[in-house]
Amino acid sequence: MNIFIGLINGMISGATPILLAALGGTFTYYAGIFNIAMEGMMLGGAFFGVLGSYYFNSWPMGILCAIIGALLMALIFIVFTVFLKTDEFVTGIALNLFAVGATTYMLRQIFNVKGVFSNPGIIPIPHIDIPFIDKIPVLGDILSGQNLMVYVTVVVLLISVFAIYKTRFGLRLRAAGYNSPSLDSSGVRTSTMRIWSLVICGVLCGLAGAFLSLGYVTLFSENMTAGRGWISLAAVILVNGNPWGIALISLVFGFTDGLGLLLQKFLPNQFTSMVPYLATLVSLYFYSIQKRKKSI
Amino acid sequence: MRKKFVSGVLGIVVALGLGAVIMLIEGFNPITTYSALFSYSLGGFYPLTTTLRNSVPLILTGLSASIAFASGPVNLGQPGQLLIGALFATVGGLYIHLPAPLMIPLLIILAMIGGALWSGIAALMRRFFSMDEFITTLMLNMIADFFTYWAISYPFFDKTAYSPMTPQIDKAGWLPEFGNFNTNILVMVLVFVAVWFIFTRFTAGYEWRLTGQNSIFARLGGCKIDKNYVTVMLLTGALAGLAGGLVVMAGPHRFLKGLGANYAWDGVMIAMVANNDLIGTLLYGLFFSSLQTGAVGMELITAVPSEFIQVLQSVIVLVIVAGRGMLDIVLDKTQIKRKARERTA
Repeated sequence: MNIFIGLINGMISGATPILLAALGGTFTYYAGIFNIAMEGMMLGGAFFGVLGSYYFNSWPMGILCAIIGALLMALIFIVFTVFLKTDEFVTGIALNLFAVGATTYMLRQIFNVKGVFSNPGIIPIPHIDIPFIDKIPVLGDILSGQNLMVYVTVVVLLISVFAIYKTRFGLRLRAAGYNSPSLDSSGVRTSTMRIWSLVICGVLCGLAGAFLSLGYVTLFSENMTAGRGWISLAAVILVNGNPWGIALISLVFGFTDGLGLLLQKFLPNQFTSMVPYLATLVSLYFYSIQKRKKSI
Repeated sequence: MRKKFVSGVLGIVVALGLGAVIMLIEGFNPITTYSALFSYSLGGFYPLTTTLRNSVPLILTGLSASIAFASGPVNLGQPGQLLIGALFATVGGLYIHLPAPLMIPLLIILAMIGGALWSGIAALMRRFFSMDEFITTLMLNMIADFFTYWAISYPFFDKTAYSPMTPQIDKAGWLPEFGNFNTNILVMVLVFVAVWFIFTRFTAGYEWRLTGQNSIFARLGGCKIDKNYVTVMLLTGALAGLAGGLVVMAGPHRFLKGLGANYAWDGVMIAMVANNDLIGTLLYGLFFSSLQTGAVGMELITAVPSEFIQVLQSVIVLVIVAGRGMLDIVLDKTQIKRKARERTA
């Protein structure tokens, strides 16, 4: 039973950063932006989260700084793709490498360390116990006592679904990607919608980064996002941007993450670390097969 | 060609200027920093040969990315292909013992096979299951990273070492060195010339470029685009694998953890700045190598950490690519204005 609960909790904490970043990616996906900079935004968020939490000795400041850090990355992306009309693909790749370089550089300049910065001064995001629910056996261990960011993620998911499908903003957002000339001719600037979608993506990637460096673990290490931004992108593409589908896929990835940890008893950990990436390939396989059937 | 040159030089100057601004804010002296940087990478025989030696993996992975992007496939798997190529060359060097004239070509071929194998997996997934190579190559990178880490930690682990690494390969597989001049640059030049000829002078290369620009037109014109796709993937994988093999054979002569460093991603950036132009890839590869080689000296003389170069590189990429776009827009606008004026006159 304990293994089961551990697996479920591992799944939830593994899924959280991917889901947050992928929800951000959904907004840009609908706005018609090929956004591959989630990895960089997340990394920027993770670094600034640690920075804020360490200097202000408070986790809310950590989250705030994480959002600001990710927004800075998003801002660079906006300046280059929306205003200077640089290729989105090139900008994304360069921004991801910029994020790796800049965080490594600042890690050394600000904290005087190479590789990893961990310090008791970094205040992690707390876990929340929900009264009454935490008394229920089994279910209480899963629903209650999760990291605050997990609950935030659920709220973000619901808001995203509502905002994309039920509001005027969502309609315009989808129009920006689906048919930008008709949106422009109806008096709404496509570029404005794209900027907003990137800002939202920045905020959500900042939250994802904050969860990574202040929730999942309490430290910052070089390139700690380790391809999670790419997995988020894969999740968005796999379900054509549907938020519920993204939630499902993120849980699957989270599950493989937890499964990998469990398998460490039997396999060298290098192989268990591969599991989420293999899972991405397998889900891409099923997606492609299905898509091909539809097209025939 | 002249426009490219202008936008490249302008971009580098602007990016170096931005770098200087960052240094001023941090309280460093940009002039001493830059002079330290370039004197340690270009000033004299030893620095220059080191820059040349370090440019080999950058140029080869850049070449791999350039050819892939220009021919259509979005092969972003250079990091993984480089690692697998390096592993193949290392394992060959550990277990095969031949005289040097046979050994070196053999290891080079093994490295290329390793890289081609890894990109071939992605190519097959695309051919048979229409899985997008953009995502599969990225995932294969992570898998290759963990796989090689396992390989050097368990089956090929050097039992006398304290951190994961293999023993040194057979001395016959070491690339000869003259002073500090490593022959890996000769291998690179040979491969570069061969690839340049195939890409710009042969029918095959013509078909690839055609497919990259307009695959429907190429198919209607009679190009076998599926077959070409697989060929390009295998070739670009082999180039990235070769980069890895040469790193092992020229440098530490063994597979250490973190061997691939950032070579492959830098190569991808180089291809992007060069706009997939092969000669451009060569030149930018040399330039990026001079930055990276000089970074060590820069850190030695001034207090600027070598990681600063990583930031500077991505700034250069963004500025040059954005600048190229802007230059096009400005030139188009002036042309349109001139035409409009001619009509009204």
